Amino acid sequence: MTADKLEARALTKHFGDLEVLHEVSANIREGEFVALVGPSGCGKTTFLRIVAGLETADGGAVEVDGRAISGPGRDRGFVFQSDSLLPWRNIFDNTIVGLELAGRISAEDLARTRKLLDLVGLKGFENYFPRQLSGGMRQRVNLARALAIDPELLLMDEPFSALDAQTREIMQVELQRIWEEGRKTVLFVTHQIDEAVFLSDRVLVFARRPGRILEEVEIDLPRPRTIATKRDPKFVTLVDHIWKLIEHDVRESVLFEHH
Amino acid sequence: MAYDKKPLVPLPFLRSGKTASGRVELEGYQVAIISVVVGLIGWQIFSDLVIANSLFLASPTQVLEALVSLSLSGELWAHVKTSAVEFLLGYAIAAVVGVATGLLIATSPFWKSWLQPWISGLYATPTVALGPLFILWLGIGIWSKVLVVVLLVVFAVTINTEAGIRSTSERYLEMMRCFGATPRQLFLKVSLPSATPFILAGLKLGIGRGLIGVVVAELFGSRLGLGRLIGQSADSFNMPELFAAVAILAASGILMNSAFSKLETRLVPWTKD
Ligand SMILES: Nc1ncnc2c1ncn2[C@@H]1O[C@H](COP(=O)(O)OP(=O)(O)O)[C@@H](O)[C@H]1O
Ligand SMILES: [Mg+2]
Repeated sequence: MTADKLEARALTKHFGDLEVLHEVSANIREGEFVALVGPSGCGKTTFLRIVAGLETADGGAVEVDGRAISGPGRDRGFVFQSDSLLPWRNIFDNTIVGLELAGRISAEDLARTRKLLDLVGLKGFENYFPRQLSGGMRQRVNLARALAIDPELLLMDEPFSALDAQTREIMQVELQRIWEEGRKTVLFVTHQIDEAVFLSDRVLVFARRPGRILEEVEIDLPRPRTIATKRDPKFVTLVDHIWKLIEHDVRESVLFEHH
Repeated sequence: MAYDKKPLVPLPFLRSGKTASGRVELEGYQVAIISVVVGLIGWQIFSDLVIANSLFLASPTQVLEALVSLSLSGELWAHVKTSAVEFLLGYAIAAVVGVATGLLIATSPFWKSWLQPWISGLYATPTVALGPLFILWLGIGIWSKVLVVVLLVVFAVTINTEAGIRSTSERYLEMMRCFGATPRQLFLKVSLPSATPFILAGLKLGIGRGLIGVVVAELFGSRLGLGRLIGQSADSFNMPELFAAVAILAASGILMNSAFSKLETRLVPWTKD
């Protein structure tokens, strides 16, 4: 049994009168890829922001490697839903920004950044500017930037939700390939069930109003997974099972959003 | 980096077999040159045939003659030099003070509360009207004009600088915070670069305001300067010389503006295309 990388205990969060999270607990083991799936507005981003230290919970605790967190820290890397690349920096300078904030950039940092850009498939684009890149490429930079600080825990908030369907499928396979290289501990938030099942070792299914964990689903599909995995009956069964769990909530969230 | 060529402008009346549409198509700047030339020719014809009295309107050729004789006598250079010195001094002071004040009020709520009413009030006030007062204070030399230029330019720069810092995207700040940025790093690595286009826009706005400041301040009382030349030409109904002075002001305004646009493309390329 490996130690828990992340332990979130009974996190509760309110925005005004709205209870967004209700006693959410989650443990993630070292090297595990865990997805958090749920309908939009169920508090996924809020949960991730609390773990990142960008938001404080009203109750509960977050520990990384057994230490309680107090605000953002370089032990956690965040991959943002909107890529948030700085438009005045080229791709290389965007990727190295986390290391730059930590102090002087060493030759090792430069080499490491270059290697990461190579890993995410952006070799040769170092001197390009964000506006010259497609959405998929910008998300690769977003990922490389988070990996550059070599975090203990990688937090990803719907990084592929703004991409078109084909690009998204490619990025899912790519992310798996990149993850296999380093086996970082990942908490990946998405509203897409097939994405969650495809990528992860375990899926936490979220319910809304208030946000809470309905069920944990182990995904024991063999790796590496390919596009073909998505047609595997086992895969389909898992997606179906999760869909049934949140179907009611999704309907409600759709009706709610349309008010 | 430009991805697509600038669109060509079709000319309405001309036709040619060379383009797909059968129209003559030119680049934007070529059409602009044609527009200016046509305007000048129209002006020449209008003043020669319709007005025909240089008391009311000088033709382009008369203006050109005035320019040549004024520069041959050395008079023109003295006026231009004086105005240029006044403008550049005032503009430089306003740029430094304006950016500094803008950064101060953007980062300190205390100073913002104290200074904001004065800045907003004085920006809207035609402070150029205080020119005669400044002559009493500072004399008829260049410093009374410099002060007018400073007052006209500084608030435009301050307001734009402050707006630039304030409009920094929360997404960028949060991303940097997430990577452990200190408040100082947030300011230097996010707010400042993100405000640069605004600061440049304020400085660009200041060019026109500063030129107006120089001329009007000189009109109130001066020994030399393009405003002085305009005043004395008007008094003696010498329209060619008046237009000559105005033409030089226009040319320097256009020149400085386009130099500024070049600077913007270099410094803040991400706001283009
Ligand atoms: N800063 C905030 N202030 C007020 N309400 C918020 C804030 N952030 C999120 N919410 C609300 O909390 C709920 C959960 O939001 P979020 O965590 O973004 O959900 P998800 O990421 O699952 O779509 C939503 O109803 C949202 O409107
Ligand atoms: Mg979200």
